[in-house]
Amino acid sequence: MTDPVDDLANLPMPPPPALGNALEAELGALAPVRTRRPMHRLGVLAVLSLIYGGALVLVLTLRKDMHELPMGWLAAVAVGWFLGFLVPSYLALVPRAGTMSPRWQVAGIAVAIAAVAFVTLGLMIHPMGPSSLDYGVENFVHGHTCLEIGLATALVPVVVGAIFLRGALPVGSRWIAAALGAGGGCLGGLVLHLHCHIADGLHIGLIHGGVVILAAALSAAIVPRATRV
Amino acid sequence: MSDAKDLMARYCDGDASAFRELYALVSPRLYGYLMKMARSKALADDLLQQTFMKVHRARTAYIRGADPVPWIYSIAHRTFLDEARKTKRAVVRVGDDDTLPEVSADLDGQTAGSKDEPADPELVKTALDALAALPEHQRQAVVLTKLEGKSVAEAAEIAGTTVGAMKVRAHRGYEVLRGLLGHKKDEPKKAAGGST
Repeated sequence: MTDPVDDLANLPMPPPPALGNALEAELGALAPVRTRRPMHRLGVLAVLSLIYGGALVLVLTLRKDMHELPMGWLAAVAVGWFLGFLVPSYLALVPRAGTMSPRWQVAGIAVAIAAVAFVTLGLMIHPMGPSSLDYGVENFVHGHTCLEIGLATALVPVVVGAIFLRGALPVGSRWIAAALGAGGGCLGGLVLHLHCHIADGLHIGLIHGGVVILAAALSAAIVPRATRV
Repeated sequence: MSDAKDLMARYCDGDASAFRELYALVSPRLYGYLMKMARSKALADDLLQQTFMKVHRARTAYIRGADPVPWIYSIAHRTFLDEARKTKRAVVRVGDDDTLPEVSADLDGQTAGSKDEPADPELVKTALDALAALPEHQRQAVVLTKLEGKSVAEAAEIAGTTVGAMKVRAHRGYEVLRGLLGHKKDEPKKAAGGST
């Protein structure tokens, strides 16, 4: 007596149906298409996003306390925000070599690390100069403009990424969308880092860092509608 | 014979015959997968067509050099889930006329299932019934890993889950399946014993 599960594994299936009329009609008008080039798309997304972010900084002006703060800290945090933008965007757009499946698990981990790291570091390390502002707890809510600027900055990388991944993700789309959002949020954090002179820990941690979380959450909620096959 | 990567690349270059070859290469196993998931020939027919239509529409998402088969399986499963949720036909009751494929002879005249021993159609029917009783995730895991011969990593990639989660689903599903099959196999014996 054979195991019925083994029988099921070897169960002969009826032959698949022939191509349907709709598919035949599509094939009748088949034209060459340009296929996805992930690294090229990452490059385009990065360049467009950085141009947009740079333009925003120019329009909004550089922070007033720029020359009063340690240059090492300014540069290190700027690099951190930039990597926070680049790494999740890379994981969202570039699958492992030889596969088409998104790296949603690693992307998810990157989102979590970015969210925790920027909030925590913002709360803990926030040097201030004479021209820096300290909103503290009392005026915390007045910092909402930074949240809006950060989210507005995230819009471009998220939209460009969603266009590039349109119809490409049958699975894992929510984490990939979150990674796009976190990347965009980090670009927003970079813009705020260069523009905003409110330098207290609550503002830097919860508002600037909060942009990453909020952008990731909004992107995860909205973008999968566009990226699913 | 060309492999799926070459066929997909040629198809994206506008070669319709490459698409037909790709369909011929992928659809038999994919159709088997959909039959085992959907338990309805009519639904599996429809899902297969929908899957390849989606592949066609999303072909610009193809990355040259990548294996398109796991991607196509993922699209098929997503299509199945969407359809099942839409029509609430994920589990079709046994007894529907078009649901169960018959165990038939291979071209070489042997019954598939085992080359040494013919598969018992009743047992296969019982196994399919039990499979249909599994939750979707466990059914997918069992079908991919135990019935379609995919590795756990491949199955996880298709399902969009972790290797660990796929192992757990496959193990639990298989245990439930074996339990159901053991229970159902015992029923006729009990019934026969009770009548004497």
